[in-house]
Amino acid sequence: MPDSDPLLLTPKMDPIIQSVLAGPALLRQLTDGLGSPLNIVLPEALDANVAAFRAVYRQHRLRGQIYFAHKANRSSALLRHLATTDAGVDVASLGELQHALGAGFGPGRIMATGPKNREFLWLAARSGSTVNADSLDELSELAGLVAAGRLPRVRVMVRLAEFASRGVHMVSRRSRFGVPAGLLPEALDRIDKHADQLELAGVAYHLDTIGVAEKAIALEGCLAALDECRRRDAPAWSIDIGGGFGVNYLDDGEQWERYTSELAQAVLGRRPPLTWNGHGYGLRNEAGTLRGALGLYPAHRPVSGPGYLSQLLAATAPEQRRPLGTLLLDSMTDLDIEPGRALLDQCGLVLARVLEVRDGPDTLVRLEMNSRDVSLEEHGVLMDPIVIPQDSAGFAGPAEVFLLGNLCLESDLITRRKVVLPVRPRPGDLLAFVNTAGYFMDFSATRALHQPIGRKVALFRTGGRWSWCLDEQYWPVPERAEAA
Amino acid sequence: MRYDDMTEAIGNTPLVRIDPDVHGLRNIDLYAKMELLNPFGSLKDRAAWQMARPLLAGAAERGDTVVELSSGNTAKALAMIAGMHGLRFKSVTNRMKVPEVKDLLLLLGAEIDELPGQAECLDPSDTEDPLSRMHRTLTSNGSGYVHTDQYFNERNVEAHLHGTGPEIIKDLDGHAPDYFIACVGTAGSSTGVARALRQHDPDVRVIGLVAAKSDFIPGIRTIDEVHEVGLFEPDVYDSIETITADDAIDGLLTLVRRCGTPAGPTGGGAFHGAVRHLRTLDDSLTERRTAVFIVCDRVESYLSYLRERRPALFGRPPRRNDTRLLDEAEVAAAPTIDVEEAQRWPGLVVDLRSPYAFQALHIDGSINIVDELFAELLHGGLPFSRRQPVLLVCPVGEKSARYAALLTRMGHPSVRSLAGGVIAWRDAGARLVRD
Repeated sequence: MPDSDPLLLTPKMDPIIQSVLAGPALLRQLTDGLGSPLNIVLPEALDANVAAFRAVYRQHRLRGQIYFAHKANRSSALLRHLATTDAGVDVASLGELQHALGAGFGPGRIMATGPKNREFLWLAARSGSTVNADSLDELSELAGLVAAGRLPRVRVMVRLAEFASRGVHMVSRRSRFGVPAGLLPEALDRIDKHADQLELAGVAYHLDTIGVAEKAIALEGCLAALDECRRRDAPAWSIDIGGGFGVNYLDDGEQWERYTSELAQAVLGRRPPLTWNGHGYGLRNEAGTLRGALGLYPAHRPVSGPGYLSQLLAATAPEQRRPLGTLLLDSMTDLDIEPGRALLDQCGLVLARVLEVRDGPDTLVRLEMNSRDVSLEEHGVLMDPIVIPQDSAGFAGPAEVFLLGNLCLESDLITRRKVVLPVRPRPGDLLAFVNTAGYFMDFSATRALHQPIGRKVALFRTGGRWSWCLDEQYWPVPERAEAA
Repeated sequence: MRYDDMTEAIGNTPLVRIDPDVHGLRNIDLYAKMELLNPFGSLKDRAAWQMARPLLAGAAERGDTVVELSSGNTAKALAMIAGMHGLRFKSVTNRMKVPEVKDLLLLLGAEIDELPGQAECLDPSDTEDPLSRMHRTLTSNGSGYVHTDQYFNERNVEAHLHGTGPEIIKDLDGHAPDYFIACVGTAGSSTGVARALRQHDPDVRVIGLVAAKSDFIPGIRTIDEVHEVGLFEPDVYDSIETITADDAIDGLLTLVRRCGTPAGPTGGGAFHGAVRHLRTLDDSLTERRTAVFIVCDRVESYLSYLRERRPALFGRPPRRNDTRLLDEAEVAAAPTIDVEEAQRWPGLVVDLRSPYAFQALHIDGSINIVDELFAELLHGGLPFSRRQPVLLVCPVGEKSARYAALLTRMGHPSVRSLAGGVIAWRDAGARLVRD
């Protein structure tokens, strides 16, 4: 029984994004002047997200640093605005570290993570940032750089992986990062050996999973690791649990459930396809049975971001059988986190101009952007764009359309999903892809085919209305006080 | 009845009429097929035995492990069958959501592999789900695994085609019921029974029950999940209807409290779904009809599931001397001392933190009574003499203040709470030791 109502996936929009969309004149002016696609960031939306994470810390009586995972968006405006809050930044490249230092973060608020070259390690050490070491050899290499340059001792975290689950075996995805938890004594030996160069600040993990149970095992493993450090008189007080707290993208869980149910029906051939060439998003039909797994981000996540962190802290540690948050507190451990996507929730949008609307067996809408400019599809996030009509004359709708990109490639679809728009778009209209600041903005943007990469602007409120500047021009400097 | 082993006790379960006063149907006789009376506790005993039997020859000699993707009754039955035949059993699952079931499996000697959750950052190159990957390793030759494959194994259906279905017809004096209502899990029982009943009488109406999409009812698949089941054929069912966890629990309570039937949520769901479906037909009937539903398993394994969803069912009277009974003014008035004074404290120091944290670092000379245990002690009364001064220590001085207030209320004259807790103590540079 195919469902005949339109399959909408309405994005969740906080008042700040609604307020931006309520001023189409500015949006049109910006795209007219700066071109399509156009990336818009909303620095002030960060404040509420930082505050929400801080509230979870307060609720669990915990201390520690919130490090924004910079890789989620390379915007200067967002980073500089974040410098005005009490959050820190997690940098994963030499360029990101330079950017963070230049945005006003002191070294005490910077955590260097990920794969590192010698230059990255050197600048982290020279600036006094904390280095989150990915391997044993990285510890030695860092110590060598510090010794050779006669630099001050560097605070290090040891990123651990492959935590043993006692009792019931938990299968975990293999990770390319981190020191196996069983090798902690060797890591501590290396730090001891280079005691004049390295100072242990704590241990870390980051697991790419939405499963709380796996993270609970890792967090308890880190607590045991910290205990081991203390037993060896290497007092370390921090556990960095990385990110992966998630975002709730959709307004209505029922839309998500209907869509995924209907997608399964379409893959089984029991309703017309919902996608370009019957793409199954990881599902396939094997003799009438659905196989494979839905390769989509769970776009409706009632528990995400700060709520997910709170849930993890309330989860019972499998071995010690007390809530993880309580155990952190009991052992006087500071909790560090590295949210990326979750800190950028509602912090930006991407605009694209409609170039052509072509009728046929399917309605094709061609945009002045390509799928790399708004990498929703690459990350498996399905949500509808908002139509910003050019004028109010004669709306028709709703319309089922495919969104095509501007690259001369068969594969360049903004999404392989057939999108239901409440209004039939016309050439010259704008489509707004909202809530795309975390990972979906220009994360994978390319100059392939000499197509331009979208410009980025920051929107901010002055005197009750929206003003804008180019992203690199944004500085969170207070206005000069009158008559000093 | 004398048997050589427990597998002989599988099947031949009674068909019991439900009292019309309970279901209120005037023209329909409703019967429950009491599958909870199978020896390992559920309907799945039949399929497990049927599937495992042909695989047993030589398996013990080879040292094979029986493996199944199951988080519940099939795993339970297979674990016991494997144990009887000197084989190991491994359950692979990402659905192990009921703690008692997991504990029971471990008690039976099963090994459990829990599959990871979905990746937060999507890796588009990863198109295989962990379950399919596991499936492939298991079916490769010489893996040392005997895979019963309940979701695809036709013998799962046959167990009911030759067992459950004909038993129902025999107990209805050679007639098939007019309606058969079943929850859909592996689809084995509903498909097998439906096939047997229709061979006897093609007009039998079969109603399949599935869980609402975002719901969780142990043993029942959701409307989407049934499509992942190889044995599921939509044509078996005249209609597929949705039940919620609430419906299932309502049905369970009726069966447990009024029908002398200690049914689990699946049985409760089947009862609720059956009555709901039949009630719409009852009034228009002019002759008597019969309907059968299956009570799949027993209630005892689902206590935590029920506690989570219906806490009111487990209401207990409040205990005395409980910190939750303190008012905020009492807590605010709790006697506290700062770190400096605490360093000169002459009496007992009680650290309420976890044993691991205590052992790692604590105030010299203190004793550790973890807060949960301390709370338990206080329910019984003062655990130390009134003449013994006591300083309570917790991480930030919050819990210790509540306990200090409670002890004060209980009449202890010289109890104090360390303001700011052990974290303030550390931050002040005061000495912490490990023994």
